[in-house]
Parts: sequence; C-alpha cells; structure tokens
Amino acid sequence: MAQMLVKINVNGVEREVLVDPDDRLLDVLREDFGFKSVKEACGTGDCGLCTVLMDGKPVLSCLIPAFQAKNHKILTLEGLNNDPLMKKIQDQFREHQAAQCGFCTPAMEIMGWHLLNRKKEPSKQEIKEAISGTLCRCTGYYDIVDAIYDAGREQ
Amino acid sequence: MSSQTAEEFLTEIQKKAEKGELLYIGKELKRLDDLEKVLGSPIYTNDLIPRNTLYARLVLSKYPHALIKGMSVTKALNYPGVRYVLTYKDIPGLNESSTIIPDRPLFAFNKVRSTGDIVAAVIAEKPNRAQEAAQLVEVEYEPLKAVFDPVEAMKDDAPKIHEDGNIIKHVKVRKGDVEKGFEEADYIIENTFRTQHQDAAPLETETAFALLRGDKMLIIGSMQTPHHVQAAVAKVLGWPLDKIEVIQAVTGGAFGPKSDEPPYDVASIAALGTIKTGKPVLMSMTREESMTAHTKRHPAIITHKTGVKANGKLTASKVQIVLDGGAYASLGVLVIVRATFHANGPYEIPNVWNDGYKVYTNNTYTGSFRGFGAPQAIFAAESQMDEIAKKLNMDPLDLRLINMLRPGSRTSTGQLMDESCGLPECLDAVIKASDYRNKKKLYAKQEGKVRKGIGIAMLHHGNALGPEGNDYAYVHLSVEKNGKVHLGTGLTEFGTGAISGLAQIAASVLGVPVDYFTIDRPDTLVHHETGPTVASRVIAIGGNAARDAALKLKQKLLPVASKMLNCKVDDVQIVEGYAFCKGKENKSFSWEEIIKEAYEANIELHTIGYYMAPSCKWDEETGLGSPYNQYTFGAAVAEVEVDTETGVYRVLNYYVAFDVGKAINPKSVKGQIYGGTVQGLGYAIMEELVHKDGYVVNPNLKDYYIPTSLDIPENIQAFIIEKPGSMGPYGAKIVAEPPVVLPGPVIRNAVMDATGRGVNSLPITSEKVYRAIKG
Repeated sequence: MAQMLVKINVNGVEREVLVDPDDRLLDVLREDFGFKSVKEACGTGDCGLCTVLMDGKPVLSCLIPAFQAKNHKILTLEGLNNDPLMKKIQDQFREHQAAQCGFCTPAMEIMGWHLLNRKKEPSKQEIKEAISGTLCRCTGYYDIVDAIYDAGREQ
Repeated sequence: MSSQTAEEFLTEIQKKAEKGELLYIGKELKRLDDLEKVLGSPIYTNDLIPRNTLYARLVLSKYPHALIKGMSVTKALNYPGVRYVLTYKDIPGLNESSTIIPDRPLFAFNKVRSTGDIVAAVIAEKPNRAQEAAQLVEVEYEPLKAVFDPVEAMKDDAPKIHEDGNIIKHVKVRKGDVEKGFEEADYIIENTFRTQHQDAAPLETETAFALLRGDKMLIIGSMQTPHHVQAAVAKVLGWPLDKIEVIQAVTGGAFGPKSDEPPYDVASIAALGTIKTGKPVLMSMTREESMTAHTKRHPAIITHKTGVKANGKLTASKVQIVLDGGAYASLGVLVIVRATFHANGPYEIPNVWNDGYKVYTNNTYTGSFRGFGAPQAIFAAESQMDEIAKKLNMDPLDLRLINMLRPGSRTSTGQLMDESCGLPECLDAVIKASDYRNKKKLYAKQEGKVRKGIGIAMLHHGNALGPEGNDYAYVHLSVEKNGKVHLGTGLTEFGTGAISGLAQIAASVLGVPVDYFTIDRPDTLVHHETGPTVASRVIAIGGNAARDAALKLKQKLLPVASKMLNCKVDDVQIVEGYAFCKGKENKSFSWEEIIKEAYEANIELHTIGYYMAPSCKWDEETGLGSPYNQYTFGAAVAEVEVDTETGVYRVLNYYVAFDVGKAINPKSVKGQIYGGTVQGLGYAIMEELVHKDGYVVNPNLKDYYIPTSLDIPENIQAFIIEKPGSMGPYGAKIVAEPPVVLPGPVIRNAVMDATGRGVNSLPITSEKVYRAIKG
C-alpha cells in the first residue's frame, strides 16, 4: 500500500507522519503522536469518545482518514490541559465526581469546552444537547451536565 | 499562628477528635483516582502498550451450532503483516476458559455452540491487517440442529448443547404450603413476563496486553478480578501461578461481564500470542467482537401465580424463572440463585414456591451483569403487584403497604428482617417527594390523548456474595518515610469510586487526611488473592478489611506518638494528621514527624487487613434460611406522559430512595444511583441486543441504543436512607447494583397507570405500548 507523508498541526506543533491510506486520524493521534486522551469505544462513529477539535470544530477522529487531516489544526485534551477554561471544567468534573470510569471524560470535557467558548452560561438543556453525541455508561450524565454548568458560571 | 487562631484551631480539633473513627465517614470528599482521568492521562490498557506491540483479532463461529470438520489458517498466515494465527492446537495447557463449570473452551475445537464462540485469533502488525486476515481463516462446519428458546431447550427431545442435558442449574424456594395458600385466596392472578438480552456496553471493551519479562508473563488488562484472570491464564499456558503477573489497568467501565469469562479470553489470547511471536500482544475486542463474544444479561421468562385475599393480603406466590443461559454456564449459575431468592419481591408472603432454571441454548452466552438476576426478577414481581392491585381495584401503593417487608417480617426464604429494614422509609421518601396520592387522583381524571401516569416499584437486595461464595477481602496499607500512605488490594476500581471509599475509611481510622493516600494498582504478585470485585461488595466487605488494616497500623503508631508526647497510649489522639495528648492539646506532632520517628525506631509500617463475612446459612433443597447477612432496600416513583394514539411516551420525573445503611461518601452514592438508574432506564425503554436464529443482529452502538444525555428524565431526585446493617463498616450496605433494577418495573407501572394497560415484556418500546392500548 502506498504510504503518504502528511503534515498535521497537532496541539500547536507541526508534525509529519507517514500514513497508510486506511490509517485513521485516531490511530495517528494515539499511536504515532502519543495523544492517548483520544479514546476508541466503537470505531463506527457512534459513541463520540474519539472527538477532537479540527480547526476549532468537533470531529470524530475514527471516521477521518489521517491523510484528510493534512494541513489542518487538531486539538486534543493534551493541548488544552493548560487552558484556564479547561482547568475550570476539569476542577468541576472532580468536584461533581463526573468522571467515574473516566473513559468518556476527555471527549466530554472537549465538548464542554467547545460549548462554553461559544456560550458563556448555557442552560442545562443546551449542555445536554451539546454532549448528546458523546456516550457515557457510568454517570447517567447528571453530574457531567452539572460540572459543565458550574464551570460556565464560574468564568 | 496567632493565639486566637490557635485557640480556634484547638476547638476545631477537639470537636473533630470527638468524631473519632468517623472523622471522614459520610463526607463528600473528592475521589483519589480522578485527576489522571480528567487530564486524559495514559492510564488504560490500550494507552500503555509499547511501539512494537502486535494486535490480535478474533475469528468467531459462523454457526450457532455445528461440528468443526476442518480448519486451515494458511491463507490468513500468508496475509501481509500477519505474524501468527492461534487455534486450539497452540494451547500448551488446558483449553478451558471458564469460571465455575468447565464447559467453555478458549478456542472451539470439535464443535461450536454459539456465534460468540472463538475459533481462532489472528496476530498481526496492525489491527486492520489482523481484521482482514481473520476473514481468511477457513473453517469447515457441519451445522447441527440448534435451539434458541430456553423453554424449548428444557424439553427432553431438544438438541443437546453439551453432554448432559440443557438445564444447567435448578434453584428452589419452598416455604409453607403454597396450595393451601391458593385455597385461602379470594383471587388468583397469573401472568408471564419476559425480559431481553441487555449488553453492558462498558465504553472500554475487553482488553488485555501481554509481555514476556524473562521467564515471567506480565498481563495488564481491563478487568474486575485480576487473581481469577491470573489463574485462568495459568491453566491455559500450563504455567505455575507465580510465573504470571496480572495488573489491573484503570478500567473503562465493567458492569459485570469483566468479572465473568471474557477477560480470561483476552488475557489468555494475548499471552499465547506473546509466547508464539516473542513480541508483546494486545488483544482489545472491537465493539462488535465484544457485543458478540462477551456475556450479556440473561433474557428471562418468568411466570407468576399469586393468591391474594380481597383485603389485599398476599397468601401465596408461585414463581418460575427460566433464564436463557446461552451456550455456556458462566457466572450465570449464581445469577439464577439471586433471581430465585428475590423472585417474589420485597414482600412477606406466608407460602412460596419458586423454581429457577438456568438453561443452555445456542444463543450467545449470558452471565454476570449489574443486578445479577434481580432486574429480571423484580421487573416481574413488581409488575405482578400492579396487576394484582388492578384486579382488586386497589391503589398499588396500598397493596404494597399491606404486604411490604418491615422490621419483624420474614422474606420468601424465611429470613427475619431486623431494625435495619429501611424499606418503609424508602417508600415514604418517594411517595412524599412525588406527591403520589394527589397525583394519582389528579391523573385518574385525565381526558384526551396525552395522559400522564404515576407508578411505584420497590426492592430488597441481599448484600454482597451471600450464597455466591466466600465473602472475604484483604486490604494492604503501607506508609512511606514521607508519610504517604499506600492502599493496595486485589479489589478493583472500575468507576464507582469504592476504592476511594476504602481510603476514606482507613483515613478516618488513622486520623490522617485522605490526601495522604495513594491507591496502588491491583497486582497479583503484590496483593493477596481477595475474591472477586462483584456484588457491589467493595465497601461492605473490603471496607471492613480497610478498617482492620488501619486499626493494625494505628496500633503500631500510637506507642510512637505516646513516647513523643509523653502521654499514655490510651490518651493519644490523631486528628487531621496531628497527634495530641488528650487534655494537653497545645502540644502536637505532625503525621510526618510520627512516621519519621517510627522509621527511626525500625517499626515496620505495613499492615494487611482482613475480613470474612459471617457464613450464610440456608437449605439447598428448600432455599429456607438466611442467604444474605444484610439487605439494601429501595423504592422509586416515576411519572410518565404517554401519547395514547401513538404509544410514544417519556419519563418526566423519577424519584428514588435507597437504604444504604451508611453512605461513606454520599456524593459517590448518588453517582451510583444516577448512573445505575440511567443504565436501568436503557434496559426499561430502549436496549435490546437482538438475537435472530442465534446471530446477534445489532452488535454495535449504531443499532443497539444506550441512553444519551437527551434520553434521561429531566428531573431526578435521589434520597439516601440510613438504617445501619449488621455487616458493613459503620452499617454500610451495598449500593452500586440496586439502582439498575427499579426503572423497568416503575416505568412499566407508570405507563399502565396512564393507559390502563400493562406491557409485560422489556424493553417497553412505544410500539409495545401502542399495541397494548390498541390490543
């Protein structure tokens, strides 16, 4: 299979990687670049756990061939860990015990961060809508919604 | 420190000292394991693998029941990137991957019994290469007649799935004289209830990674029971236990299947692959592999025959439960015990006759899943109660008030309920919060096509293992020179926060803040074999072991502090990390100073706490006795709004109360109540892993729906009732499983209240509601 050299800006750093045509952005982020906060829970675009921000918009990295990310800007949770708003969200996740098994937590926090950047004080219904494509099997969502809600009001 | 603040500080410390061992009990402290989670740190199995790791993919059976006539792996082996193809021929030890009954091979060899059977595993450099090559493994099958209905499978002429008949286990309860009870009744009500396959769908699938270190095999994986996985791998490899080290990685959800046989499969395959290739191997199931090849919740067919007097007093209950076990026994042989013991609901009934059967079929196998037989049993029992109330033209609440378990009542197995029976308080809490009586009246007067309804359901839940095994635990504590306390145990964390709860208990006993604690990863070479992390038993059983370890550690530290303070040992108090002499609080030493002194005095600061629950006594033939040491109780009220023309409905409000004895961390308890309720809501209204002729139709998250944030009731109110039990630390009872049980029956009963018609099978889809209304 013909490999391709692809340049992607991930978390603010330009990176180059040789990819197979069927390599997913998810695999490149995790295995080549080591950003393990990006999770795989279905591989079919149904769970939302592989969500990353591509040019500021949430995308499912399991559905995007890596070569399609060429010349785009990708943000994962690792790239946001020093962001003041993300820190607030993370603090609130701990305060509300919104991370139980923790597997959906990075994607939930990214969706929360993306929402709070667009709207400072969203309603609980707006938060539920924003995270409705991201599955959680542990919390029943209530504590996650409350964490994002409080992080918004704390800004 | 100014004199004023010092005084305030002293008063505060004295107040805290009065709390003694309860210092941090009942406090909503933060969890100790979630910082790495919110940062997205590499902590799960899949995150920890080295770059040269090979990947394994499964080849599953193409038939639900067939003989294997031949197998060729040549084509797959020649596929680019493939390093090895594992089959039964590669097993140096025993070809067995079973918990209780040795009926399941790791790799099928002479026949397959379900489409979840593993025939081979392909090891390749990349997961997609392994996946493609898996299609190239050639297996020659000779299909056999199959059976998919457990009731059919019980018949003498049904196809035999294993050598000895299809009934794996028969559990009985025989109390009083059930026929006499029916004679005394004014009414006899009979109904049949059905439940479906539910998939636990932990968001991290079954995953294990194996690596050879010298002559030892290291396995890191996602699991509930590392010591059991160690024993299972040892059996397959034919190696001694001490050559196999199993470490539980942070586990992304478990819910039961990860205490059953699937973790044995992935660990054994990764280990075999490592032996054959000399490279580290990761076996991480795809979602489709997981939903096909792991254990699910048993579908059940439950028939109820109940005798009741015109005044509402129950006289007799006869219940038959048939669980579809699928092709293998798994932990399901214990699931049927819990189902049968809870089959009549939380009521005092003088005459009981229960038969529970776990039956082999050619469906994929079923086993341990949060609730462990209770969701099926209580769905049927609580639905039956509302059918009885309807027959008597009585409010379902009044029927429950007449018959429910209270202190002084006896359960179906004749077990006496003591003062720790908090069922009346649970019911009272949800009735009041929901304004049940008024709403019931109000909703009865509704007209028009959109109608609201209100329903009730309740439960009792025998705590911890009871009849399911020896209920013991070990917890290790050790203190570093800098004062940091390590808590280690073979018990595992997979999301509930219970292991943080153990630290909270140990911290309370020692008088040192929880921040001083760090939780070590469960490791079979470091921690004692400590039984399975199942049955929600970490706090109730492990909590006593944590307390024991902390008391033993404190015994070592008090004499040290006594010497330093020049104070009698009995008068030494350690509060919030400071040691004082009672009555002379102005002089103190910090935790760090005491630890340093202990190190200098060569005192070994490592203790192992142990707890074994009192053994439970019941009769195998009649089920009579006390199968559980204590019970959790719960009650829920749900309100729904139903479009009676279409059957479309939604849950508006959900009120739920659990008697948890003592909430060690109320925030964590509520987290379990919310999460369990929503997993139970999925079971109640939308989830069904559909089997058609033995094939799983929807083994993916596109066609198998689990609740999203938009499916949850807008208003949920959870209440914690505390009637201390006799076993758990500080009276704590188990909590993680019961919340999943109530949504099924309570939503069913609320829909019946709105429409007048009950749906007797799960999930309660809008289509079923429509058919019930129109039928």
